[in-house]
Amino acid sequence: MKSKKKINRRQFVKDASTVVAGASVIAAGSGAGLGLFPKSASAANVRRDILRIPGVGKGSPTDSDWQKVGALCLNPTKTRVSKGEFDGVELTFMGLNNQNLHNFLFRGFLKPWEKYTGAKIKWIDLAQADYNARLQQSIATKTVDFDILEMGAPFEGDVCGKGLASEMPNWVKEQIEMDDYVDYLKAPVGTWNGKTYRISIDGDCHNFNYRADYFKDAGFAAAWKAEGHKGAWGVPKTWQKVQEVSKFLKGKKDPTFGGDAVGYLDPCKGWGGFGFYFLASRATAYAKHPNDPAWLFDADTMKPRVNNPAWVRAIQDVIDVLPSQPANQLNADPGTTAFQQFLAGTGSMLSWWGDVGSMAKTSDGSVVGDVVGFDILPGSDDVYNSKTGRWDTLPGGPNYAPNMAYIGWGVYVMARVDSNSKKRKAAWSAAAHLGGKDISLWASAYPSGFQPYRNSHFNIDEWVNAGYDKAFITSYLESESNSYNHPNAAIEPRIPGIFQYYSVAEDELSKIYAGKYDAQTGANNIAAAWEKLTDQIGRKKQVALYRASLGL
Amino acid sequence: MTTTYIGTDHVPAQQKTLGRVIIFIATILLVALFLIQILYKTDTITLGFENWRPTLYAYLLWSIALCWGILLIKGDRGQRALFVLPAFLFTIAMVIFPLIFSVYISLHDWNLSAFEGQKFNGLDNFRALLVDEYYWNSMLNMVYYLVAILFEYAIAFGLALLLNSQIVARKFFRVVFLMPLMLSPVAVSWMLGKSLMEYRFGPAATLARHLGWESPAFFSSPEIARFSIMVLDAWTFIPFMMIMLLAGLQALPKEVNEAAKIDGATGWQHFWKITFPLMLPVSITATVIRIIFKLKLADVVINVTSGGPGGATDTVTSFIFREYRDRSNVGYGTMMAVVYLIIIIILMTLMLKLIDRWMQKVT
Repeated sequence: MKSKKKINRRQFVKDASTVVAGASVIAAGSGAGLGLFPKSASAANVRRDILRIPGVGKGSPTDSDWQKVGALCLNPTKTRVSKGEFDGVELTFMGLNNQNLHNFLFRGFLKPWEKYTGAKIKWIDLAQADYNARLQQSIATKTVDFDILEMGAPFEGDVCGKGLASEMPNWVKEQIEMDDYVDYLKAPVGTWNGKTYRISIDGDCHNFNYRADYFKDAGFAAAWKAEGHKGAWGVPKTWQKVQEVSKFLKGKKDPTFGGDAVGYLDPCKGWGGFGFYFLASRATAYAKHPNDPAWLFDADTMKPRVNNPAWVRAIQDVIDVLPSQPANQLNADPGTTAFQQFLAGTGSMLSWWGDVGSMAKTSDGSVVGDVVGFDILPGSDDVYNSKTGRWDTLPGGPNYAPNMAYIGWGVYVMARVDSNSKKRKAAWSAAAHLGGKDISLWASAYPSGFQPYRNSHFNIDEWVNAGYDKAFITSYLESESNSYNHPNAAIEPRIPGIFQYYSVAEDELSKIYAGKYDAQTGANNIAAAWEKLTDQIGRKKQVALYRASLGL
Repeated sequence: MTTTYIGTDHVPAQQKTLGRVIIFIATILLVALFLIQILYKTDTITLGFENWRPTLYAYLLWSIALCWGILLIKGDRGQRALFVLPAFLFTIAMVIFPLIFSVYISLHDWNLSAFEGQKFNGLDNFRALLVDEYYWNSMLNMVYYLVAILFEYAIAFGLALLLNSQIVARKFFRVVFLMPLMLSPVAVSWMLGKSLMEYRFGPAATLARHLGWESPAFFSSPEIARFSIMVLDAWTFIPFMMIMLLAGLQALPKEVNEAAKIDGATGWQHFWKITFPLMLPVSITATVIRIIFKLKLADVVINVTSGGPGGATDTVTSFIFREYRDRSNVGYGTMMAVVYLIIIIILMTLMLKLIDRWMQKVT
């Protein structure tokens, strides 16, 4: 998830030329001048123009920049809403304030919308740490006091599954051009029982970040051969190779920075539930069979699979390479592995969200900008088949199953506006403005808290024209798009309380990694705790929602 | 000679009746609103308020009416009661009621994500707690953390003696030694736990490497991690004990010290036979308060280790925090908090009793 240390994408290329937005941008910034272009030319110009606000190398965007972008992207609203149509409507928006992004951007984006439509928006800003508790309390105490909600897909079970969200009108689907979403963000994500609720504003997945210098190093190649390893020295494509490479590197020296060479980096410390995603990224290639959409629970019973041979193998993998990792790895959470280790030059392989790639060249704390490469998560030579209880070797080669961790942020309208048609249209219009096709391009390219999530975001030329380095941005974006659109992507279950499952698992994993239990015993403990949790939340409904989230 | 007895002033019967009526009406209003709201919230009746705020207003009104009524009924004695009654009513609202409500919640199975909402489950949460190895593991850790107070006390006493003696720049050192106490434990977690003791480039880790510790990971093995947390917590709170002990030392009668000097007592005899016994009341007070602080230890643990590795540094409070915030398990989390509170109350009461008896024997 991208909330911790957000990026500064505009500095991807240090020496990129900067272009000031043209006169049309300035004119449009005031809300005038839009719609004068022929439709196709206008759309292309809008995308070109917003990418120049404020421009690569021109400093961080400010509220006036966000307002300019919001004004430039107002055309889709104008085609469906007449000026002043929402006079007197007041909406409440609840979202995050991480790194002064999220709601701060939304405010700027929506100011021209408020001016045009006449609606007013009140804001509830939450720190990430307070978000879950605030949302759960609102639901549990039946005190939903907001009309529009910024929310991650994993919480859909808590909100959509309990009938608290408003169904998306068809005109919104057209306005935001939903067909442009990458495959995994299309239904069933954002839908419950065939109804659509979510406007995506973000995409999330774990990709594979590696140090290219390690895998081009002639010394390592020679040593690899001399030690009798099979195959050529290169970037591992499977977890089996990741393990082999990590053990091989122990005792060697980093080819660029001179410290100890380290292979894969595992976060072993809990991170409020988010740490579990990192075990999942190791496990999906083993556990997500192409013929089975389920990989975390059995679809019919919610029986946990976390103690099946696939997951136990992933846990055992962590245990096996812990001695090859830095000595403090037991106290390393995902923030440590990404920002204090990998970006700071320790370790050669890491699974993480897109933040690592986008910060590699822009963060002052990063030393790996020129030596980093990206790919989808490694695969596995064999995959566990939960139905037969056997390991299958696929005819097409290794099994890949990129982990769509967290599924990204979305904007949801709450059902409480449904009784007032004017308010309902206003809420959906505001949400659609934030989730528009063009505005999302800007949010992907500049610090926003959001990653690319539409097929149109992967037009490399647009990024290069805006000033980004082609080789770097191509590698980065391809690792993202190939993960999103992978046919065997592992989609996270959107069931109520999913982070409770992850949090319980983190506690047990901590014990396993500390040597208190073996992998199987610890996994059995996790499974037992998950069964108890499912019963507490309500198994019957949980099963139904799980199946719905899988599209079954 | 005339004698005036406070509180015997005459209160007219009419005034008394008015006072009783005011209290009666306010009580009826409060009880009625409370009952209506309970019945409404349990879906027994369809008429009620959206939230409990009107009941709170009724309580405030009742509190005012009670104060006014007592004033009318008891006259001067009522005026004296008014010095205490508002504080008492405030305590009921802010301490007693939440405690009772906590006990009520702890008897429920209430996961915020549960479809059925809260369900009364009697003592099930308590029974689950009895076999919850995470809870008892953190309780065991608390014993280790409490034992560490003995060492903190010894260090604090040493520092207090030092700062009480005629050393150079005494005032400067007093301020410097107090500084850790001024820092938030969260800041301490980041400054020390995550920066100074950082494995790769932390100054403490670098020094440890120079001293021959090849892999100075302060939070990776259970014993070292627990010890490191003790050090972080001690660094913050030793100044607190020190300042209390220093105040005690400065209040000691100088005559006794001078008499001991004249009698030729050695430094050790002076400390062990005079200073230490005289300082016992202050020492006990400082230690008891420190124990209370220690029992609440959570922030440093949450920030630095999240209770790991493998639960080695977990405290009861940090575990309750995870159960509450990360798992929304309100009923069980509250039961853990209630049981912990009861254990603390029993232990502290026993300890104070034992200390009291011991002190009586000593003195």
